[in-house]
Formats: sequence, structure tokens, C-alpha cells
Amino acid sequence: MTSYRNGGFFNPAYHDTETLEIDRRASSKTHHTNPYDNQDPTWWGDRASNDDAIGRVPQGGWQEESWRGRENIPMDAISIRPRSPPRHHGPNHSISGMDSEYNQSRSIPLPSSSGNMTMRWRGIAMRRMSMFPDADHTQTAFTEDAIWNEMQNEQQNLLEELAALSTRDRIKAIRDLPMSFKEKKHIRKELELQSSRKSRQFTCLADCSEKLSLFSRKCGYHVKSAKQTLELWQGAMKSIGGKFGTSVLTYFVFLKWLLMFNIFSFLVNFGFVTIPLLVYKHTPNISQNVNNVPQNVTFRGLEILTGVGYFKYTVMYYGSYSNGALVGYNMQLAYFFTIAVYMVLCGISLIYSMSVNFKNNYVLADSASNSAWQLLCTWDFSVTNEKAVKQRRNNLCVQLKESLSETAQQERLTVSEKLKHYGIHFGCWLLSTSLAFGCAAGIYFLCKYEHKVLLQTTNTANWSLLDEAKTLLVPFVVSLINLVIPLFYSLFNKFEHYSTHRKQIYALLIRNVFLKMSILSVLCYYWMNKVPAKDPCWESTVGQSLYRLVLFDFLFLMLGSFFGEFLSNVIGTKLIPRMGVPEFDVARNVLELIYSQTLAWIGIYFSPLLPAMQILKFLILFYLKKVSLTHNCQPPRRSGRAAQMQTIFIFLLFFPFFVGALSIVAYTAWSLTPSEGCGPFRGLNNSFTAVDVWIDDLKNVTGSQWVIEIYSNVILSEIFYFLITLIILVIIYILWQVTNGRKELIRRLRQQIVNEGKDKSFLLERLQDLQKSLPNKTTKQKKQKGSMKQHSDDHSSGDQSNSNAMVQALLARQQLEEEEKRYSIGGVPVPSEMSNSSPLMQAMLARQLADQENEDQYPMRDENPSSSSALAQAMAARNRVEDEENNQYDVFNRSSAVTQAMQARRRAEDTDDDMGDLPHPVSNVMMQVMQARQQAQEDDRIQWMTAPPQNPGPSGSSALIQAMLARQEAQNEYDDGY
Amino acid sequence: MGTTASQLSKESLSEYQELTFLTKQEILLAHKRFTELLEKHEKDQIDARVSMGKIITLPELKSNPFKERICQVFSTSEQKDGSLTFEDFLDLLSAFSDSATLEIKSHYAFRIFDFDDDGTLDCADLEKLVNCLTGETNDAKLSSTEMKQLISNILEESDIDKDGTVNLSEFQHVISRSPDFVSSFKIVL
Repeated sequence: MTSYRNGGFFNPAYHDTETLEIDRRASSKTHHTNPYDNQDPTWWGDRASNDDAIGRVPQGGWQEESWRGRENIPMDAISIRPRSPPRHHGPNHSISGMDSEYNQSRSIPLPSSSGNMTMRWRGIAMRRMSMFPDADHTQTAFTEDAIWNEMQNEQQNLLEELAALSTRDRIKAIRDLPMSFKEKKHIRKELELQSSRKSRQFTCLADCSEKLSLFSRKCGYHVKSAKQTLELWQGAMKSIGGKFGTSVLTYFVFLKWLLMFNIFSFLVNFGFVTIPLLVYKHTPNISQNVNNVPQNVTFRGLEILTGVGYFKYTVMYYGSYSNGALVGYNMQLAYFFTIAVYMVLCGISLIYSMSVNFKNNYVLADSASNSAWQLLCTWDFSVTNEKAVKQRRNNLCVQLKESLSETAQQERLTVSEKLKHYGIHFGCWLLSTSLAFGCAAGIYFLCKYEHKVLLQTTNTANWSLLDEAKTLLVPFVVSLINLVIPLFYSLFNKFEHYSTHRKQIYALLIRNVFLKMSILSVLCYYWMNKVPAKDPCWESTVGQSLYRLVLFDFLFLMLGSFFGEFLSNVIGTKLIPRMGVPEFDVARNVLELIYSQTLAWIGIYFSPLLPAMQILKFLILFYLKKVSLTHNCQPPRRSGRAAQMQTIFIFLLFFPFFVGALSIVAYTAWSLTPSEGCGPFRGLNNSFTAVDVWIDDLKNVTGSQWVIEIYSNVILSEIFYFLITLIILVIIYILWQVTNGRKELIRRLRQQIVNEGKDKSFLLERLQDLQKSLPNKTTKQKKQKGSMKQHSDDHSSGDQSNSNAMVQALLARQQLEEEEKRYSIGGVPVPSEMSNSSPLMQAMLARQLADQENEDQYPMRDENPSSSSALAQAMAARNRVEDEENNQYDVFNRSSAVTQAMQARRRAEDTDDDMGDLPHPVSNVMMQVMQARQQAQEDDRIQWMTAPPQNPGPSGSSALIQAMLARQEAQNEYDDGY
Repeated sequence: MGTTASQLSKESLSEYQELTFLTKQEILLAHKRFTELLEKHEKDQIDARVSMGKIITLPELKSNPFKERICQVFSTSEQKDGSLTFEDFLDLLSAFSDSATLEIKSHYAFRIFDFDDDGTLDCADLEKLVNCLTGETNDAKLSSTEMKQLISNILEESDIDKDGTVNLSEFQHVISRSPDFVSSFKIVL
């Protein structure tokens, strides 16, 4: 402790550190009236005798004043840290709030009438108060004021922060404040006041920019509210969420999202591809090969299901589009780029929403699946239905109980049980995989068969109804498989026992995805490889197949909600009550949506208007599912992790399905030869050649050289892609490393928080110990102090022999501060019963006493040093001598203890010379001591008649101390006389 | 109620838009719903209060287990009776709206869960919270040992500095790790 103190004292760098600025507040203490003016006259005496020794520094008081100011720092720092904050405030404000006490000049005028000084003072008092909560009760009002003041400070600080921001940011920041409306309004008003005061200086420019930002803000609000007006199905969504909660709502949100994709796709395709064709068709000079519906093809009704026949000659399919004689419009390019741009935009939008969702829901998310907080803080506030709330409460209770018993259950499993579980898992996976393969193989052979049958009647125009109906076989089977097999998979859940609900859902998802992927890949293989070889207009044929698939998928979705939900509801309520009312299976339903959207993506090349069908399908499906849900289903029993499931759905939509569809379309465009007889790309090797042709055409146009350059050097060059890939790989690697580093950092920070928490609790314990021990020790003094206001406990005497060094130091500091105040105010000596404290303690205290006295002696000389230990006295004396040397006698540079006696003597001699009325120096040291003592006492009586009777020096101290004291007294006298 | 729109002046409407997360339609709707709860003679007063008893009859709050707490947290009433002015009501809707930030939502969630308003979630608060969510009926309630276990689980999960209570920053940490919170902490008129 001592070394720390010394460091604090003699190291100039310590005094100059900015971080300790806080304690400038100490200077305000002089302005406070001391309520203990006339207390304890005996102490006065003690003090007075000491003061003579100190009072010899005529100058340099200022120096020590600043010393003292800074000396308080550690004390304040200590008292601030362990206080338990009365309120919570933002992490930003807690630190700067303290600084703001010193930045008052910049701040806005507050309603507070109290000046800076009192405010600072109260800040101290509050800290003191919170450190010793069992202090005097009269402080309570004081503390409230202090809290209020600190709040004011915080507010000012906030205002300053906000004022520094731009208008837009400021509005956002104000909106983001967790405050009540009134408070926000107040802050806004204050800021406006401030800025209006400021902006008077800048005139026109600021005005303009202000108006502009206001205008843009208003526009933003209008756009926002317009967006909300256009928002589809608000009421329906609210009622679904109100009854079934957010997890079921994700299905409908997802459906809406997909609907938006399709609307965009339809608009683009219709606008850039279909409309030009239609416009061209209706111009008078029609070329017959566009509108080539043969005379014998009529609309028979079944076409709506099959998509063949009459539809084949409409703009529904690829085949009807031609590059023939459209003047000034390149249908090839339009067709190619529309689809390419749409696919790219879809991809970007998917990747974007996937990454945002992933960031929000996975990276930060807790890994523990069933943690208690997860259950508690995900209570669905949007659920408004009374019955649903009741059910939710029950479910939550069950889940909480489950989460409590889950860990125990895990441990109870024996090896044989585990083996059994693994066996069942393995069997289920095997069965589901083979089922998927079987279905895929079956569909492949069915396709082959269909093709063979249909090829027998080469002219499709002459198809009978039966022939046409035969085309429905494949889509029917595919949709049936899609309906039945997932239900079958759901049955597996009855046998399998996954440890968590989540694993179960994931298993189900993976199986269903696998099934759908295998079916789609078989179909695509068939379309890409078998159909082009045999069909003169194979793209339209594929388009028809897709049309049928989309349509049948829709029919079976309706059937599915009938069977899946209505029937099981009937069975559950009427026939087998044990099964209960079914829940809405979000995962299965979303996968169905994903599947049908994939069909639409694949079909976009072969049938550009397929999105129109998709829009209709989704619109109908929304209402159908809503009705089915509200009539047949009950709210889900488990509050699943809706947000994470949504992320998974988006990921699934992107990864196997969108990427698959994109690669199919890309393969078709790059590698397959378009049919000769129909479509915009007839006569080309592949669809992409259209771009080549276009570039070739551009060569004749002047000024388009750069396009060709870019095309040949960037788009067509492998090196470009190679470099891009390399760069991306490097970036990924770096980001991966950064992620790893952050993870490590997070781990360490967590550890640090835990450690800090331990420290905190340790210090709090210490503090409580201290508080417990303090009141007992100081009761005696408290009585003496009477109506003490500010620092009831500060003045603990130095007799805490049982507490450790740190506590002692703490107390000593407090004492010091106390003393400082009193000195500065009334110059009243402080009672300090330090005779029985430990030597170390004594030394520290004494030193500080001495220093304070040093500071105070110049203005007020009526203080006497209290009796302290030899060490303390010696130190004080030394300091004083040094000061004197510096200030008055530059000749005396010696600082050793031995030489001090000499100095004293000389000084005494000097005094003699100067004053003439003082006793002559005695060569013998002892003699000098005795004389000096007497002199001092005499002088005291003469010079300060008002002073209370002096207490002679400590009786129990050794001769050495006596000597020292005497010497000091002599010095004092000298100073006084001087 | 065709006059409700005209009751809100343009300035106050834009101020509401600026200071809350609500859109114009939402504010107008909120105003309409709020004035429906007011007495006839109060309808012209700008700072008329609606008592908590009336607020919680709104279908959006009616079956919410925290309805009283929500009113108390958002009320600026001197008497601490949970009555709301229109501005308090907007505050409530803003915090529960879709576009409110996670920070705002978690702040208010913390205050709602802090039943004794002491700035931390201690064991008593947590117990009340669990009881509030599971319902007070005897068959639904957790037994005392279960409750103890649950609370110790909760504290183990979230009490980072191990002081036996969950403070705001610890709570916000928990919230940031449960992605469902934002979508479920939502009340739409």
C-alpha cells in the first residue's frame, strides 16, 4: 500500500493523467460550510500544536492545493466502482455521464437551478451514500437529488450525441431510444431549439438542405404507408397468427413470398416476350406461320387439363414464339435475356434473404434446442384467441416439464435401447431411400411407356380424347406419389424416437426433399435426353408436360388438404378420438410449395406464361389452406423455432431446387439444339448462339467496339472465370479465418465477463463486511458528531486492527478527505485517535495529514499537528523543511535527517537576527528543543488569543519525537515572525 | 367515426410518424380504436386517459397473460394505475410493431417481465413470469421443485456474471440468441 501511495504522491505523471480528471471536483469542497465548526475543542488543541509545524510554508500552497485535488482520485475511483447502480442506463452513457459534469459550459440550460458546484458535490455524496447505505437518513433527499442530477447529465450527454448526427440519423436514433413518447418529444424539442439556435448562422444553404431532408422523409413515410396499403392479406394473416401463432404463419408468409416471385416473373415475361408477339400478330400483314392453328383443331375442354391440342398453338408455349418477321424487335434476345435476368434476380433475392435470415436466426442463435429461456421469451404476443392462449399455456407447461426431465431421460437409455433406436433409424432411412428410388424408377419407365404410346399417333392434331387422356397418366402418378409418400414418411415418426423434436423434423424434411429431387431429376433427364430426339417441337412438348404437372400438383394439393386435414379431423373427432384434431404440418406443406415453384422455374423456358398459372394456383391455395386450417386444425402443440424453420425453407428452396432448376434451364440454353420447326431459336445450334449472332451484328455498328471487347475478353474467356473463382476462394478463406478468430474472441470475452462477475461479487462482499464493521467502530464518534450531514461514516478512527490493509487504506482516505474539508472550511482540527492503530496505518494517515496541513497552513495558521507516530512526524517535518528550503532559503539543500537539526538551528539564529525578540539559539540540541517548545507555547498564546487552550505535545512519545516536534515549532515561530 | 382522421392534426400525425415505428394508417387506426374507448366528453381532450380496465378489453390484449404489466409499463400516469393516454398507447403499439428494433423490443420485454420494477429479474420475477405463462390453475402449475429447477436452469443459462439475477444486458443477450422473439413480440391492431 505504501508504495502505491508514494507512487501516487511523487510521480508527476500520475497527477497529470487525464483519466483522473474526475477529481477536480475536490476543489469545490472549499465552498461548503462545515457543520462541525465548534466541535471537540480538545482536538483543536492537538491540531494547533501541529499546525505550527506546518504553517511554515508561506508560498507553494497552490502547488499543494492541486496536489491534494488529485490525491483524492483513488478514493473516488474506489467509491464509484462498487456502487450498485440505482438504475440502468445505456452502456454509452454511464461513462460519458461523468465527463459531462465537467462539460457544463457546452450544455443546454436545464431546469435545474442548482449550480455546478453543488451538483458535483452531490455526485460525490451520492457515491458515498451508495457505498454506505446505512448512513444517516437525512441523506436520502440528498441522494434523490443526486440521482436526478445524474439523469440530467445523462440527458444532456444524449442531446449532445444526437445533435452531432445528421437529421435523418437523428430521427432514427430518437426513435430507437427506449423512452416514453413524452420523453422523446422533449428531447426532440430540445434538439430543435438547439439546432435553430445554431442554424441562424448558416442561412440559405442549411435551410435548403433542411427542407430537402424533410421532403425526403415525408416521401419515405408516404412510400411506407403506401406499401402497407398494398400489403396483401393483412387481415387474414393477422387472424391466422392470432389463432395459430407465428410458426403456422410462416407457411402463409412463404406462400405470399413465392407469389411475389411469380407476379414479377409474369410481368417480365408478358411484357417483354408475349406483348410484342401479340402486337405483331394483330397487325394486318400477318405471316401465316405465326398464327398457325390448324383448321381441324378446336377447343374441346380437356385441353385445360392436358395442355395439348388447341393450347399448343397459343402463346402459352415456346413453340409459338418466333423470330420470323418481327420488325425491329429481336425476339431471340428478348426471350433469352428475359429468362436469364429473371433467373439471376431470383437467385440474388434468394441468396440475399437466405443470408439475412441465416445471420439473424442461426449465427446468433442458441445451440441448446430446448432451453428454458427459449420457451419463455418466445411467448407469442400476437396470439389473441382465448382458446389458443389457453392451449398455448398448457403446451408451454408440458414443454417446460419436458425440458426439465429431458436430461435425465437421456442418461437412462441403455446400450441395447440405443442399439434398437439406431436400428430403427437405419431401417427407416433405408426404407425411405429405397422408396424414393423406386418411385423415381417407376416414373422413368412410365414416361418411356407414355412416349411409346403417344408416338404411335404421330399427328397430334388428330388425337382422340382417349389419346389425350393418356397424357395425364404421368402427372397423375407423379402427383399421387407426392401426396402419398410424404404421408407415409410421417408414419415413420410413430416408430422412430428422435431425442428432439427438431431432429425429427429435419429427418422428415431430408426424406421428402430426397424424394422430390429424385422424381424431378428423372423427369428432367427424360425431358432433356429422350424428348428432343423424337419430337419436331420438343420444347412445346416439355412445356405441355410441365403444364400438366403444375395443374395436377394443384389438384392434388387441394385433395391433400381435403384428405390430410379434413379427413383426419373427421377421423380424429368422430371415429378415433385418440388421434385428436390434426395439426397443420408446416414442413410438409412448405415442401409442397417449394416443389411446385420448382416446376414453375423449370417451365419458364418451355412455357413463358406458366407463372400466370402459378399465380392463380397460389391465390386459390392461400384461401383454401386458410379455410382448411381454421376448420380442421388445432394450434401446434410445440412452439417450434419458426424463424429457424423459415431459414431452412428458404435454404431448401435455394439449394437443391432453385439451383437444380437453374442448371436445367442453363443446360437447355447452352447445350441442347433448339427444334427446327418452331420457337424463336430455330436454326441455331443452341439458344446462347443468339447472343453470338447479336455480337456479330454489333461489329458493323460503330462505337460498340467496347461491347465486343467485353464480350470476347470477359464473358467468353476462361481466365476471367478462373480469376474470379480464385479471388472468391481467397475471400472465403479469409472470412473463414476471421470467423474463427471472432469465435475465439467471443469465448475469451465470455470468460472475462465471468471473471469480472467473480471480482464484483468478491468486492461487494468485502464492502459489506466493511459496512458491517464500520458502524460498530464509529458509534462513539457518531455521537460526538451530532447532526452530521455529509459524511457520517467517513471519520472512522484508525483502529480497525482486524481489517486488512486495503480496507485500512480505504478508510484512511476517507478520513483524509473529511479532514481536508474541515480544514479548508473552518480550519478546525479533526479528532484523530490514531494512537492505537497499526503502525502502517498510522504512517499513511499521518503522511496525508501532514500534507493537508501543508496546504492549509498558508492561509490559516491556527492548526496544530495532532500527535502521531514518529515516522509520520518525521515525514511531515521533512516535507516541510524541504518546502521551506525551496521557497525561502535556496542555500539549504540538505535533506537528510541529521542535517535538519542543523538547519533548524541556523534558522533559529536567523530568526534571532531578524526579529531580535526571540531567544537565542542554543548549541546543544536538547537545549534547543526545550527552549523551542517553550517559545512555541508562548508564541501561541500571544499571537492567537482566540485560540483554545493548547494541548501540549504527546506525553507518551519518545524523546526523539519531542525533539522533532520542538524543532518544528521553532520553525513555525520563525515563519510566523517572518 | 369518420371524424377521427380530422381530429389528428397534420403536425401531430407527422410527429407521431417521426417518433414511432408506426405508419400513417396504423396511427390513424390506433386513434380510431383509442377514441372508441373514450367517453363522449373526453374525445376532444388531447391527453385524456383510458383506464387499464378498458384498455385490456381490446381483443388484441384481452387474452394476453401480460396485459396488466403491459399497461403498467407503458403508462405515464402519476398514480401508477396503468391508464394510458393516446401517446402511451402509440408507444405500446410502436414497441410491439413489426418494424421496432430488437433493442426496443427487448428493453420493453425486460420491463414487462420485471414485475417488481427493480431493474433486475430476480428469482421472484422469474417465478411470476413462469406462472404467468403457464397459467395459475393447479394442474398447469409447476411444482415447487420443478420451479426451483427451472429457475436455476434459467439463471445458469443467462446469468453471466453470476450475481443471482438477470439484468438488462444479460436479458438482451439471451434475446439476441432466440430469433423467434422478434416475430412473436408483436401486437398488431
